Amino acid sequence: MIGARRLGRLVAALGLSVAAGLPVAIAAVPVPEGGAGPAQPLRVPAELVEAGFPAQLPPPPPDLDPSAPAAVVVLPDAEDDSGAGAKLFWFPPAQTPSGMRLGGFRLYEAADSGRFKPVLQPPRVSADAVCKVQVMGGHWPWKTYRARVAALYIPADTGDGNWGVKGERRPKDLKGEWVLAQEVLSRPAGPFTTRPYAKWFDLKKINLLVTALLYCTAVLWFLRHARRGREMYLRPIPGIEAVDDAIGRATEMGKPILYVSGLDPIDSVSTIASMIILGRVARRTAEYETPLLVPCRDPLVMTAEREIVKEAYLAVGKPDAYDPESIFYVTDSQFGYVAAVDGMMMREQPAANFFMGYFYAESLILAETGATTGAIQIAGTDADTQIPFFVTACDYCLMGEELYAASAYLAREPILLAQLKAQDVGKVVIGTAITLGAVAATLAVLVGEGGVWARYLGKFLAILATQ
Amino acid sequence: MRRTLPLIITFLAGLVMFVQFFVPHKLSQDALKYMTDWMRIIGTFALVLGIGSLIQRHTARIRQRHRDAPYSAVALCCFLAMVVLGIGWKTEEGSPFDWGFTYVFMPLDATMFSVLAFFMASAAYRTFRARTPEATLLLVASLALMFGRIPLHQALDPHLAGVAEWIMAWPATAAKRGILLGVALGSMAMSLRLLLGIERSHLGTGKEG
Repeated sequence: MIGARRLGRLVAALGLSVAAGLPVAIAAVPVPEGGAGPAQPLRVPAELVEAGFPAQLPPPPPDLDPSAPAAVVVLPDAEDDSGAGAKLFWFPPAQTPSGMRLGGFRLYEAADSGRFKPVLQPPRVSADAVCKVQVMGGHWPWKTYRARVAALYIPADTGDGNWGVKGERRPKDLKGEWVLAQEVLSRPAGPFTTRPYAKWFDLKKINLLVTALLYCTAVLWFLRHARRGREMYLRPIPGIEAVDDAIGRATEMGKPILYVSGLDPIDSVSTIASMIILGRVARRTAEYETPLLVPCRDPLVMTAEREIVKEAYLAVGKPDAYDPESIFYVTDSQFGYVAAVDGMMMREQPAANFFMGYFYAESLILAETGATTGAIQIAGTDADTQIPFFVTACDYCLMGEELYAASAYLAREPILLAQLKAQDVGKVVIGTAITLGAVAATLAVLVGEGGVWARYLGKFLAILATQ
Repeated sequence: MRRTLPLIITFLAGLVMFVQFFVPHKLSQDALKYMTDWMRIIGTFALVLGIGSLIQRHTARIRQRHRDAPYSAVALCCFLAMVVLGIGWKTEEGSPFDWGFTYVFMPLDATMFSVLAFFMASAAYRTFRARTPEATLLLVASLALMFGRIPLHQALDPHLAGVAEWIMAWPATAAKRGILLGVALGSMAMSLRLLLGIERSHLGTGKEG
């Protein structure tokens, strides 16, 4: 029987939890009269104490199995903004059955009035002589959940890799006997819900939202000006101006054009930018009837590019000149693709090579092989690590944002050019912010911590910081 | 409708994913997982198209007795061999498929990667020439960086490692960040163009603006 003072403490803990609005469930494990308790005093985590749990582990009810986990408690996970998380706390059992040892714990969960089912990931939790915490996710805020913890016991002489729980697969390379652990379940803890912590907007990302909306406003403002027919100055980009020259050279030499649209899949913005440039290149090759080779690494990219090139040939009135086999799938293996493209360059000897898109380590292999064939090479990538290789080995290189701007340059549509102006405004804003931050950081160092500049810098960084 | 429907789908999907980024609720996280799973499924089906293209291209070359027909025959034979081995003897460790992957494919892959070292040397030989002041600066910085990275740098000059680290930490990082800022803004602008339907040529409509 629990003493009156201890019962009073338990009731006080429950009352505090209810008053705080946090669902707390306690299941305690009994210690029979004269039974052995834990060898060391167990520390109750501060998080539990704040939720109203007693600072000292309460005695267990006498009618429960002493070898079951003690004091199972569930709290909503305040750090989980999705509202789907919960934290499960429990203490190790008071007694271990003779001849056995505690191997670990297994978690069970029931939704609403359903049956308890084991939590599959992880299948079991290790045994430690302290309070365990397990974060559980995937809960719906409008359901109620209950949890139980099972202590897993195995024969004392069983090795650590030779046992598991029901439903767990035996390792194939296991030598020896596979032992199934005996489970001793605790009392259910719960019900609990995670509704109080489900958020519909992440306030930590508000600076990103404001920046994105400001940028979109700038884009739309310049769009409106472009529609009024105002001329906009654009700095010349040699790589874009050389596209027509490269196509003309290939036509004069009677050699094909090789177009590589990067190694990223179709959901990459750089691949889409590359496909847009391919459309413009295909129009020119259709007009001059220059052979076009487009080896693809991704089948979806291949499908989209076939459609783009076909439309280009239709637009100039030469549908018969279109060959769908000129855009083909090679392989999705990185260096297998590079080997195939290199072989094409050496055999077909294209007069112009276009490398537009996102590239990885193979960029220099492609560019150098093309350089040995004497082709004019125009590259464009937003992969900052590969830009130096393309600058070195290619005749022209579009760096970073120039790849995205190329479609606007080639089309010369006012609407597209307006986007470039908005980008420049964005760069001015970022440059100003960087300058202000650098000045504030310098002054903070000169003036010292605690000064007005250090506080200003702290606030400035807090506005920019995002998680 | 053929041109309008893809644009509507693009706009709605883009708007949903934009909103999803800012909503941490479980419904939003599950929507993201759902979209990601569907992308993988569609990508897998698209692989069928790619394999069809591969087989069609190489069989056409063999049939036409193209000068590169032997390469196409090798490619097709290897492709079919791996398919038969994978289906017949599975792909577990120790299977013939695993043997082909480990002892044929991976060494070939590593060989192509290792060719990069030689290409780097040839590119460096062509590039590092003091023709202009900027090229001279590039040459000096590159030499300092290379000598600062090799194990002999302590014997040559103990300060070279510090110079190399300074070059990587300050001017190189500054330039890299500048490029990344431009890339970020450019990709935002490109994404906005795609969402609003201003850029449509990737859909194969042949019409811009």
